[in-house]
Amino acid sequence: MDILSRIPQLLVYGVISGSILSLGGIGVSLTYSILGFSNFAYGDMMALGAYIALGLFSLFVSWSIPNTPLGPLSFGFGLILAAIFAIGLTAVAVVLIDRILFKRLRHYSSVILMMSSIGVALALRNILQFFWGPQPHYYIERIQIATVIPGLGIRIKPDQVFIILVTIVLVVLVHAFLKYTKMGKAMRATADNNSLARVTGINTNRVIVWTWVIGGALAATAGILAGIENKFITPELGWQMLLSIFAAVVLGGIGNPYGAIVGGMVIGITEEVSTAFIPTGYKPAVAFIIMILMLLVKPTGLLGKRR
Amino acid sequence: MSLLTVNAVTSGYGDMEILHGVSIEVGAGKIVTVIGPNGAGKSTLMKTIFGLLTPTAGQITFAEEEITGLSPDLVVRRGMAYVPQVENIFPSLTVHENLEMGAFILTDDFSRQLEEIYELFPILKDRRKQRVGKMSGGERQMVAMGRALMLDPKLLMLDEPSAALAPNLAAMIFERIVAINASGVAILIVEQNAKESLKLSDRGYVLASGRNRFEDTGENLLANQDVGQLYLGG
Repeated sequence: MDILSRIPQLLVYGVISGSILSLGGIGVSLTYSILGFSNFAYGDMMALGAYIALGLFSLFVSWSIPNTPLGPLSFGFGLILAAIFAIGLTAVAVVLIDRILFKRLRHYSSVILMMSSIGVALALRNILQFFWGPQPHYYIERIQIATVIPGLGIRIKPDQVFIILVTIVLVVLVHAFLKYTKMGKAMRATADNNSLARVTGINTNRVIVWTWVIGGALAATAGILAGIENKFITPELGWQMLLSIFAAVVLGGIGNPYGAIVGGMVIGITEEVSTAFIPTGYKPAVAFIIMILMLLVKPTGLLGKRR
Repeated sequence: MSLLTVNAVTSGYGDMEILHGVSIEVGAGKIVTVIGPNGAGKSTLMKTIFGLLTPTAGQITFAEEEITGLSPDLVVRRGMAYVPQVENIFPSLTVHENLEMGAFILTDDFSRQLEEIYELFPILKDRRKQRVGKMSGGERQMVAMGRALMLDPKLLMLDEPSAALAPNLAAMIFERIVAINASGVAILIVEQNAKESLKLSDRGYVLASGRNRFEDTGENLLANQDVGQLYLGG
């Protein structure tokens, strides 16, 4: 098969991995715009969510909560329920990390906060490894057969359609939250100008808590979706994606959640399409090169920061 | 009756002391202007009153309660509003959203305040769905003042409201300040180029190098030859 005929299929894979990168990117972008630092622990917050879901799922299985596959999907109610609880618990865990650590460092420079997030990253990854070991764990070991879309010759699995749909729903929800709710507007205001937000009477402390709740929930969702797509999870799951997520955020314009969606899709698609031309192992290098080019050409990113 | 009393306040950034014991007073419903050259400490005074900087000595009393060292989000709840000189709007938010944020601490309906502000600045009503970041300097100043008025403050503090505005726009802003004052809001203005502002003021203060230099009615300060030569450009 020649290279060009593979491209439509790779585009589909790109949209799937781009979906996961976009969710992660929105989270990184929101925390950056409100708290002013690059959160290196974000990847490991994703892994934390994926493992909490795994733990709850095994628990539910032992309680005989049914997990018969829902329609064409490879998983059922049990995993979805575990995922929902895991998303909530991750949000709580992330808020606790902020209260215990980041909050105390808030009045120092953003470099200190960034360094401490690297510490959080290592701590989380090692905690996961301590409890579950470095070997891969599976949500579902059943292999799913891809469906061929007639006419286009593109193969896609029902689980992958699910990933794309979940991403669309979450992007719409985050957009609606930022645009129409009072707290969402206060988050945008705080991102615009923190000291004016305080002068205006906006409770910036509450804004920060909400930022972590949304960031944590998106991290957990991205981690669980990555687990469903890859079929397994390891403690390195999020860390391995972090470079691509940062590239997506820089590409779209750091601090702009809408840019993160665009950036995530561009990085996801470019990484997958690149495999038609160069070995798969170079995917992260592709993301890295795009990030560097963007920084050289337009450091504010595709959508820039609206000022 | 005094609404705001600043008594011998010392303040600054970190170890750098800018105000060396400044005192001013704003009576309820009055307009007061603080003038002085660049670096006199005018903006520092406003930031200190509003709790963005913590005074190292002295007291600040507002509506008969001490507010020294209170954080900005608490000061705003006491009925004081502040429009900084720069970065005084939320650029990525629309006009309407900026005003809405001004009412953040309210849980009840604020459509009356919104109507009043749109009446005061009709142009904002037409542009209420526009992002403020794309608007002109004069329009931004109106949005900033509107945002500060959403909570029906007893005192409105304006840091150089006419800076960088064309003369006709500046005149319009001053005219609006008088209208706001007529509705019972006391106003404290800080200006570098202050003839216009002193004309409307019940009282004026001259600050220099972080100390009180002159204090009188607006009219008398304008007539004072020393003040004129030293601080009003002759």
